[in-house]
Amino acid sequence: MPLTPETLPRHELNGLPVRVVESDDASREGLEGRVVIETTNTLSVEVRENGESRVVMVPKSGSTFEFAITDDAADLEKGSGTASKLADTQPAAADESSAPADRAGGDAASCRGDDPSRDRHHAAGEGVAYVTVDGLRLLSRPARRTETNGDSPWQ
Amino acid sequence: MDVAAERIERLHDLARAAAADDEHDRARYYVRLARRVAERNRLTLPRTFRRFICDRCDAYLRPGRNARVRLQDGHVVITCDCGAHTRYPYGDQ
Ligand SMILES: [Zn+2]
Repeated sequence: MPLTPETLPRHELNGLPVRVVESDDASREGLEGRVVIETTNTLSVEVRENGESRVVMVPKSGSTFEFAITDDAADLEKGSGTASKLADTQPAAADESSAPADRAGGDAASCRGDDPSRDRHHAAGEGVAYVTVDGLRLLSRPARRTETNGDSPWQ
Repeated sequence: MDVAAERIERLHDLARAAAADDEHDRARYYVRLARRVAERNRLTLPRTFRRFICDRCDAYLRPGRNARVRLQDGHVVITCDCGAHTRYPYGDQ
């Protein structure tokens, strides 16, 4: 089963381009980068800004994440040059096209805990899908997510 | 291929990329996560992955950088910087 919007909560998050759509801590909102380390309760996002990179730890609970999925997400890792370029460009593209829709989706998701429509995905550009996931759905030990969270949003 | 096998494949790529950037602790984290995912889903890591990780310290091995590769009588010996040896045969297979 490839990495699709449906399988994303069970799949590997490390290495994916991500944007923090919403967070309890306003200073973390809008962070864009790549997931480098996942723990039970946090995602560490590597943010590259004008050649410098820093790693910001974002708690899963209380945040809404937007992941960018390409057909070959794994291939992006091979060249770090292209990876950083993509990390810079992709979420920016999302800002222009789908940000208002995502905000709305995120709001709805945070109100209704168990709604199956929480995973919103937008096909934007060529072969790139943006998936918005409530951080609460990712709360799990990294190695266990594959078994514990089924494709169904129902527990 | 199920999600677990794909995760392992992606973790292999991530570990290789991290080791290439000299981020050895991060590479170790990816290797350990891959091992844990394999363990929980009753899979074996692919041979190409297994041959590039240290059994003792979970480092991702880059021959010439943090691993020594020597050929001996019918087998290869890989020595990690931590001192652990791995041996595997070559030849009539
Ligand atoms: Zn070692």
